[in-house]
This record gives sequence, structure tokens and C-alpha cells, in this order.
Amino acid sequence: MIWVGWRQQRWETIVAAAILAAIAALLIPTGLSMLSSYNNDGLNSCAGALQGGACDAAARSFIHEFDGIGNLIAWFTLVPGIIGILLAAPFVTDLERGTYRLDWTQGITRRRWIAGKLGIAVVTAIVAAGVFIALVTWWRTPLVRVQGRMDNSVFDSEGIVAIGYALFALGLAAAIGAIWRRTVPALVSAFALYFAVRLFVDTWLRQRLVSPLHATWAVNGRGPSLDKAWILSQVPTDQHGHALSLTVLNCSKAAGATCNTAVPTKGAVQYFQTVYHPPSHFWPLQSVEFALFAGAAALLLGLAALWTARRVA
Amino acid sequence: MSDVPVLRTEDLGKRYGSTWALRDCSLEIPAGSITALLGPNGAGKTTLLQLAVGLSRATTGQLEVLGLSPWADQETLLPRVGFVAQERPLHRSFTIAETLKLGRVLNTTWDDDLAVSRIESLGLRLSQTVGKLSGGQQAQVALTLALAKRPDLLLLDEPVASLDPLARREFLGTVMEAVAETGMGVILSSHIVADLERVCDHLVILSHARPLLVGPLDELVACHRLLIGPRTDPATVARVHAVIHESHTDRQSSLMVRANGHVYDTCWEQHEVGLEDVVLAYLGQRHGPAERVLEEAVR
Repeated sequence: MIWVGWRQQRWETIVAAAILAAIAALLIPTGLSMLSSYNNDGLNSCAGALQGGACDAAARSFIHEFDGIGNLIAWFTLVPGIIGILLAAPFVTDLERGTYRLDWTQGITRRRWIAGKLGIAVVTAIVAAGVFIALVTWWRTPLVRVQGRMDNSVFDSEGIVAIGYALFALGLAAAIGAIWRRTVPALVSAFALYFAVRLFVDTWLRQRLVSPLHATWAVNGRGPSLDKAWILSQVPTDQHGHALSLTVLNCSKAAGATCNTAVPTKGAVQYFQTVYHPPSHFWPLQSVEFALFAGAAALLLGLAALWTARRVA
Repeated sequence: MSDVPVLRTEDLGKRYGSTWALRDCSLEIPAGSITALLGPNGAGKTTLLQLAVGLSRATTGQLEVLGLSPWADQETLLPRVGFVAQERPLHRSFTIAETLKLGRVLNTTWDDDLAVSRIESLGLRLSQTVGKLSGGQQAQVALTLALAKRPDLLLLDEPVASLDPLARREFLGTVMEAVAETGMGVILSSHIVADLERVCDHLVILSHARPLLVGPLDELVACHRLLIGPRTDPATVARVHAVIHESHTDRQSSLMVRANGHVYDTCWEQHEVGLEDVVLAYLGQRHGPAERVLEEAVR
């Protein structure tokens, strides 16, 4: 069954490899040039040093130099999902064209066929996502030292979550395809759903997966180290961490005697409260998000397998 | 070859949603026979064959193929049954060699020499892509895949429906050769009667999801007569013989009957009938006499 599965998935494997090769063709040269400019700018010796001065300027110009390509690479986060959906195609095509009837009436049971078919797609998806992560992570190595990797636009291409995305997309397309048995509409709607789920997780859910830290600090004093952190919000507060309302702020600015509030308005804003994920939250966030996507993928693949075994004739 | 019937069903039924694709199906097909499964489209032929090969699961009733349950004993039964599905699905991007490799790796019993020599004798090359072959050649490749398993029973679902007369004859010729060599049983479904009379020795007629007529082809054809006589009410005849189909003009009546012994009534002119006449007579009538005949025919 392994040979049959590979043979039926040949075209999809080639396309996935071509996508990864194209990404590599873009990332490897630019990555090398970024690495050399990182070393030449002397940023290497700045790492961990106090902020400010020459290092700060160098870092800023370095980031600026690779901003454009960095924005492009933020879009690459969709690649593992696209590869996952693509790898569901051989499974759905067999159901659509009726060729599963040929395979199922040879000597093996449909259970083994389903397991082999989906198993090969799962392995390929994991390998492809792994290669993708390795490429992007290598490319971003110098940037990570300057910027960190907590930012929403890069978080999802590093660590392990991208493997979860690929598996989730594969499961989604396989489940929709098992029920619908039409390849193109199933894959297109799987991509739409996948995109919607990713958007929801990126913009709303991710920051809530692990409780963020809260820090209230005096403007004049030393705040928490927000270097390379993912800052969710930063608001002016009183010393107890209660957010200041707009009227209070306006009053303090005007230093007006006409303001009639209970809050003392001695001087300008004196405290800030920051809600943030420090860099140490990277792996906890990655693990929880990966578990969510991989768990959903397992459920969807199970649904696809069960539906095919029970309902398809 | 043992005497276990190749197919035995009892009150077999398959329902899709609220529609019965097959119901009240009780029949037995003896070992080594070549059976034609006839009926119009939608009569339940494909459903019966898919149940027999374990592609779908019966809603009600009993089903045994070579004495085994197709659904529960999949692993022991599948190696013994060759199946060519309707429209003979093949992986179109595969070469013939790859198609044979699929058969080799997915089957526990596989005769590679047989497969390769059959492909060569058809004048095909192993490097040819399946999707680029003609319909007749694809049918032959699909058949090769089924035969190389060395099955005890070959199930063919509308194998010749889309073929031209020459390809149809070649295909059935191949089947007959294989049967002569191995003595395996064959069940093939068709809605074309013409080719089957030469090939088959058993007959099952399905209509509206039910079997109408089951038995050895010779006997079934022999016991049917066409009676032509002056226009009368067929009631007298119907008392003794089963009237399958009747048609009347102003002056005469023709009755297709399943004769219960000899027809003595001298006012009827008796004619022998062929398979096609019998099949059309059964399929021409929808509900009514057939339902009564059914009981008797199945027994």
C-alpha cells in the first residue's frame, strides 16, 4: 500500500517540493546577505548590550534594510496549510473518480487502504512543514537576535505550530472531501475555512492561550524588560494599575482647575501598565497552539477515515 | 472446485436513504456457472455485485459468496474474488506496468507471469499509459488485473456496455478462455442481451430492485412459449400456465407464458422463444403477473 500511496501522490509531492524549492531559492541568497550584513554592521557584538547609541541605530537600519522581504515572508505562513490541503487531493480524487473501487477490491481491506493513504499524506505534510520551518528559522536567525520571535507576523513560521497548520489543513480537506467527494470544491472550501480559522487564532485566540504578564511601572522608574516581548497593550494608569479615563487625561493635560474628578491629577501621567508576553512565553504559546491544531487535525482525519469506511460504497 | 454456491442470498436488501436499491432478493447460483445478471438501468445489478464484493454492506438479509460473508470475511474472501467495477475504474496516470504492480502489491495471490503474458498477447506494451488506451484496451487491462488474482469467482459489472461490438466480442472471448482454463464462476451484469446467450448458462433477471427470474438459462428459455391464437381472454390459459406478457390486436392475442408442462389447448399456435424474447417479456411488464411468477421462479 505504501508504494501505491506514494505513486498516487507523486504529482502532489512534486508540487510541494517545488513550492519549498522556490521558497529556498528566495530565502537562501537573501539569508546569506542578511547574515553578512549582520556581521559587518557589528550587530554581533551588540547582542545583549545596553540599548541605545550606535547599536540602536545599527539595529534600526538593519531591520529597515530587510523590512520589505520580511513582510513578504509573513505571507509564507500560509504555505504549510496550502501544502496540507494539496496532500489531501489524492485521497479525494480517488473517491471522486471511483478508483478506490479498484484498490478496495484487490487483496487488502479498506481500513488498510485508508490508513495507508492518509498516513502517507500525514508523513509528507510533517516533513514539508518541517523543511519550511527550518528554512524560515535559519533565515530569521540574525533578525531574531535583534527583534526576537514573538511578533505575530513571525511567530507562526517558527517553532512547531506550522506542523500543526499543515496537519489541520490536511485533515480539513480530507474530511470535507470524504463527505463531498468532489476534489476542487472540497479543496477550495477547505482553504477558505483554514484561512478563517488561522485569522481567528492569529488575531484573537493566540494571545489568550497563555495568560500574559501585567506590569505597572512608574514613568520615571525602571519598567519591565520589554525587549523582544509581544506587547498586547500599554496604557497610562494610576499607581494601582487602574486605567486612566480619557477625561482624566485631558484634565491633566489642561492642568485645569475646572476638572471635577475624584482622581488626583497631580502632574502628567505617572504610571503605565503593560500587558505582554515575554520571550519566555514562546514555547508555552507554541505548544498550546500546536496541540490545538494537531488535536483538531486528528479529529478531522478520524472523521474522514470513519466516514469513508462506513459510508462510501 | 467445490460445490459451495458462488452466490447465495436470502431476503437480501440494500437501502440508500429511503430508496431500496435491492430488496427481497433470495437466490442461489451454483458453483462453476456463468451467470448473466440482466435488467434495465437502476434495477439493482450494481448494488448486488457491490454487496457481493464487500464494497457495500447489506441493510437486511443474508449474503454468502463462496460460502463467506463479503463484509465480515473481507480478508479471506477478497483474494478469491476478481471484480471489475462499472466503468472499470483505473488510475489513468499509471502505466500498464504500474497498474500491474498495484495488483502485485495489493494482492496476496498474484500471478505476474499470467498478467504480463496477457498484456503482451493483447498487443499492448507495459510502458503505455492507461489513460491513453482505448475503451476496449482499458477493459482488457482491468480484466487482466482481476484474472491475475487467480480468483474462484469473477464479478463483472457492465463490462461491455461502452464497448463497440468487436471489442465486446474480444472481451467476452477472453472471459470464456479464462473460464475454460480455470473453471471459475462468473457473474456478469448487462443490459444488453445479445452477446450473453452464447456465453452464459445461468440467468438472473432483476427489475425494480427485485429478482424476477432465476435459473439455468436453457431451462428457462425452454419452458417459455409464445402462444398466438384468436382474440380471447387469457384466463383459461392463466389457470394452468403463468402468463408473463400479453398483447392483443383486434383479431388475435399473443401470450408469453411460462409453461407448466405441455400446452394442450389446440386453439393456440405455439412458438419457441429465444432469450431476448423472454427477457423483454419480463421487463416489459412492470407489476402484476411477475410478482406471482417470482415466488415460483425463485424456487
